[in-house]
Parts: sequence; structure tokens; C-alpha cells
Amino acid sequence: MPDDPRSTEEKPGRIRGIFGRLREITYGMAAHDMTRYALRTRASMEHLFILTTMGDMLGIPILPPYYSLRLLPYAVPQISTWKRRMLREKDLTDAMF
Amino acid sequence: MSSLWIVVIGAVVIYLAYNFYARRIDRTVMEADAAKATPARMYMDGADFMPTSRFVLYGYHFKSIAAAGPIVGVITAANLWGWLPSILWLMIGVTFIGWASDYSAIMMAVRNDGNSLSAIAHRLISPRTRRILFVFIFFYLLLIAGAFVGIMAAILAARPDVPFGILVLAVMGLFGGYAIYRMRMSIIGVTILTVGLTLAAMALGPLGATFEAGKAPNWATAPIAGFVDSLNKSINASGPLYAVVDPTAADPRIPPPGADGKRPTTASYNATTGEINVLPGFLVASLLLLIFSYLGANMAIWRFAQPVNYIGFWIMAIVILASAIGAVLAPFTNAGVAAFKIPDFKGFSPQIAGGALQPLWPMLFVTIACGAISGWHALFGSVGTARQLEYETDALPVGGGGMFSENTLGLLSLTAVAIAGGAGAGAFAAGVGSLINVASFGLIGVPFGTALGFGTFVVIVLTVVQLVFRVMRVTLGEWLGDRWVGFKNQHIASIIGMVVTMALVLSGTWVYLWQMFGASNQLMAALSLLLVTIWLRSVGRNPAFAAIPMLFMYVTTVAASLVTAYNLFVTIATKSGQAAISVVGAWAMIAVALLLVVAALVIAWDAWHAWNRYRTVPPEEVQAPAAA
Repeated sequence: MPDDPRSTEEKPGRIRGIFGRLREITYGMAAHDMTRYALRTRASMEHLFILTTMGDMLGIPILPPYYSLRLLPYAVPQISTWKRRMLREKDLTDAMF
Repeated sequence: MSSLWIVVIGAVVIYLAYNFYARRIDRTVMEADAAKATPARMYMDGADFMPTSRFVLYGYHFKSIAAAGPIVGVITAANLWGWLPSILWLMIGVTFIGWASDYSAIMMAVRNDGNSLSAIAHRLISPRTRRILFVFIFFYLLLIAGAFVGIMAAILAARPDVPFGILVLAVMGLFGGYAIYRMRMSIIGVTILTVGLTLAAMALGPLGATFEAGKAPNWATAPIAGFVDSLNKSINASGPLYAVVDPTAADPRIPPPGADGKRPTTASYNATTGEINVLPGFLVASLLLLIFSYLGANMAIWRFAQPVNYIGFWIMAIVILASAIGAVLAPFTNAGVAAFKIPDFKGFSPQIAGGALQPLWPMLFVTIACGAISGWHALFGSVGTARQLEYETDALPVGGGGMFSENTLGLLSLTAVAIAGGAGAGAFAAGVGSLINVASFGLIGVPFGTALGFGTFVVIVLTVVQLVFRVMRVTLGEWLGDRWVGFKNQHIASIIGMVVTMALVLSGTWVYLWQMFGASNQLMAALSLLLVTIWLRSVGRNPAFAAIPMLFMYVTTVAASLVTAYNLFVTIATKSGQAAISVVGAWAMIAVALLLVVAALVIAWDAWHAWNRYRTVPPEEVQAPAAA
């Protein structure tokens, strides 16, 4: 496919490529779910923290604005992700996997 | 027929199906475009939505969908109808239905902002479709748990060389979690240590036992298995608790026929009356499995469930790889081992005692569940996989490729059971033992290979069951938590799920439990295909590749649920002389079967209205139904 973004990626040699793919597949089978779970746990903790400190952005004032403003610079990089994750509609199937 | 032919048939069919059908649908109907932004790239949050290499994602998807389904279903079907219908359904099912279900569910989620099947059903069909799906999922999980705990308990109670390996797995799981997450030890070192010790414990089970052809093993001379055997005997000294019947003879406690074609009488089986004795040892094994699952469902996931699954993965990978090598080598090095020893075809409707019906259609199509098509895959793919897809063009190698790979697991199980002869998990383990023996050029003896086969089988099933109970308690809390807050308590919810599961296991209706699970699993796949059909209709694309398999699976699974309900009715529920728990269990399963049928019909009715809505009104003008 001419407009495939992957066509611009640097390709490794054939043997290295095969071993690299096997390594990725093995990692995917063995440990990707563990990594993903750890990342999701960390994200949940961080987002809970932002909710308690920056809750007024979602209409949930928990902390007095003075402290929120003091913490704001540290939370800025995460705010868009946090809002999206908090406001996204979730149901049982989201909790399952 | 030999194992080599299975390899050749599998390779050719999968190659043709992937390259000439799946790719064509991907290109012409779905029009997958690598330049389109996927939800993983649009909503990347480093947790749920995360662009991931397609190779990593393929491994992740395959491991998450491949469990005991393609093993148990195939060995049960080969016993009931022979190997020929089993391989035909595996190949035809995966070619026209299986990959399409997995792939289309992922693509639909990708094109719908990464929403899950239930959320899309809510929007495209009706709000009550989502609620029905939740109820459906709970009973589906209950049936999986019942069928899997039943077969594992039967193996643990009958094979004294297996429990030691499982005990070591539990200990290694606890140690592995602590070592990786608390002691921060190297994962490679922990892997070598825990997997090595667990494999050694599984293989050491039969060490010292005496094996003679045509006779039951003598465990008395084995230090580990001998101890477990004597413990079993002392537990069973009081005699059977009650007796149950399985007219299909598919229950794992029923021994295969001997050389004279007759089944021998064992502690668990009375050949004269055809009854299965429920021994105290079976009850103890079931309870121990539930304790294991309770730990997996309620402890912090990193502390037990995750490391057990991690160790289990390596054991499964090593044993399956060795068996696959054996299946390829056997026709060249030991043709006797590779030859099939079970009948090719036992008829369209095998004779079953007690008036039970097991017609090839629809029962074969639900007995072999995950190797040909599975609703679990669609459910998982739409949430776990779709949100990590980096490019749309990865959906086919990941989703379709994962399904085709799982199909090879089903083919391997069929090979193992067919070369061993006999039936059930015992035949599967014996087949694996023979294949490992061939792959290791005789270094690993058949009894040790067989012990590895049994142990691996239990490990595969057990890793699934503990996660099923974990999901079941979440489902119960979400479904009924508003009615009574107790359901939201993880311990109460787990115990309720386990008590109901135990009742199903003890009712002695294993084969019906399995077939009901298969029916609900395939029905879930049909619902996923139904959703894809409606979605494709709503966006003006040709839905035929999903609609035709959907209609077939819908009719087949509803029919199979009704046949199973009938079988339960005539062989247990209304038959005199049955144990009270069997009768209650049979009536409960009849109720579940009818509930699933009604739920499926309601969804179909709503879907029909949705179909007409999108047929008469241009897609862009259709309003989503209001929340009920």
C-alpha cells in the first residue's frame, strides 16, 4: 500500500527481523497483559489523584481552589487524558478486560 | 489417516482462507486503511488506549482467546461423532465464520471510537440489548466455570500423579508474584526457576509407578502419586455419596472401552448399571479447585492470578510446541504412533441410551466451540485488542490470525485424542504423552509425557477458571449490586458464584453443562455477527460475510439449547431414581437454557427492527434510540 505509514519505517535485516518478531510475539503472549495491568493501575491512581485535586474541571469541587492552583502545573500534561478517561462511558465489559 | 494429514490439511486450508477470503473481505468490504487514525492513536492515554506493535498484539490476542475450549470441545466431539465431522467443522467453521467473527468485532469497535460490543448494541439496536447481554454474560461465565471445574475435579480425583504439579504451581505462583513485584528479581531468573520447578513437579508425579500395557497403573510404588493415591483411598473409604448418569458417556469419569469393547468398572463408574459414582474424593477435588480459584479471584491480581497465568503460559507453550513437533515427526519416525485409532464417523445421530438426542446438527456445532468460532473472542477483541490497534490494517493479522492460530490448537487436540484412541481428557493426555515421546526421540517416556499432558490440561483450564470467577464477581456486582449491596462485596459475590458452580458440578450433568456453555458461547458469537451486520447495514456496506454465518449460528445455537433442555428433561429431570441434586441441577439448567433462548429471541426481535430502521432511512438520518 503506497500510503501505508509503515512503509517509511526503517526495516531490520531478514534474520534480525524474524527474531525481533518472534520476541515481540512471545512478549505479547507471556507478559503484555501484566505490563498493561500495571500501566492501567498506575493510570487509575494518577487519575484518582487528579480528580481529588482538579475535580472542579469536571464540576466536582473537592479541594479548595488555592491548592488546586498550586498543583496545576504538575497536572497539566495529564489533564486531557484524564478528562477523556473520566468522562468516557464505561460498562461491565470495560471492567472485564 | 495420520497426524501428518492433519498438519497438511490445516496448513492448506488456513493459507487459502486467509489469503483468498479474509484478505478480500478486509480489502473490499471493510476497506481497512492504514492512514485512518485508530482509537488507540486518537485517544492514547497510556493505559486503555495504547498503539501497540501488531506482533505484540497478535501474541496478546492469541493468548487471551486460546484456552481450554478448543481442547475440551474437540475431544468430546471426537468421542461422540468421530474425527471426520470434527475436523470438517473445525476447518469450515474457521474459514467462513470464526475469523470473520473475531476480525469484524475488532474492526467494528475500531470504527466506533473503541466502544465495546455492548455499548455499540446500546446505540445501534436498543438499550435493552445491552442489559440482556449482561445477563447473558453472567450465565455464560457460570456455565464455563461449571464445565471446567467438573472436568478438572474428575482428573484430579482419578489421577494421583496430577495434584502435586498443581500444588507446586500454586506455590510457584505465590513466590513468582512476590519475587517479581516485591523483591524486584529478574523476570528471566524467576521464569526459569518457577517454570522449571513446576514442570519438574508435573513430570515427577508418576515417578516410581509401574505401568503395564492394558492394565491400570500401579501407583503404590510411586512416592508422590502413591501418597496421593492412598490419601484418595482413605477419603473414598466411606463409599460413593450418590450416583448420577451420563447416557452420552462423555463424562470424564467414565473410562474408555477396553480391548473387548466394554467399559471396565472402576471406583467412579459402575459398568453394570452405567452409573457414575460421585465419590468424596471428587467433592474434595472440586472444593480444592474452588479454593484455588477463590485466591485467584480475590487476592491482588499481581500476587497470585497473574503469576500463575504467567507460569501456566510457559508450561502450555512448551508442552504444545513439543506436541506439535511430535505430530509432524511421528509419521516419519513412528508411523504406529501417528495413525488414528478412533472411528472416523459414528453416524449423524449416534445411539444414546435413555432417549437422549445427540444429532450431528446442531450439537456438533456447539460441542466444538472455540476452535471454530467463539463469542468470547469477539467480546475480548472489541475491548482488549481494538483499543491497542495501531493501524486498521493490523486488524486482520491480529484478529483473524489469532483465530486461525487457535484453530491449529483444536487440530492438535484432535490429533492427540485420535492417535491415543479412547475418549476424553485421558485420551488427550495419552496422545500428548506419545507426541512428546516422539518429539524428544524417546528421552521423555510416555507415562511422564502423559502426566505432563494431564497437568498441562489442568493448568490451561485452571488459569481460565480463576479469571472467570474474577469476572463473574464483577459481573454480579454490576448486574445486581444496586438491588443488594452485598453483591458488590467481592467475597460475597465470589462465594455466591462458587456455590452455584459447585451445585452444577455436583449435579452430574457435565456433558450438558459443556454443550450449554458451547451453545451460549456460539450464541454470543452470533450476537456479535448480528451487531456487525446491523452496523455494516447502517454504514451502507454489504453485510453478507457476517449475516450468512450469523443466521446459521443463530439457528444452530438456539436449536442446540432446546435439544440440551430436552435431553436434561428426559434423561435426568423426569427420570425416576435420580439423586435429588441431579434433578434440581437438571431443572436449573433447563431454566438457564430457556432463558438464553428467550434472551436471544428478544435481541433478534430488536435487531430486526434496527435492520428495518437502517434499511428504510439513510444511515446519516437515523437517530439513536432513546435510553429506556
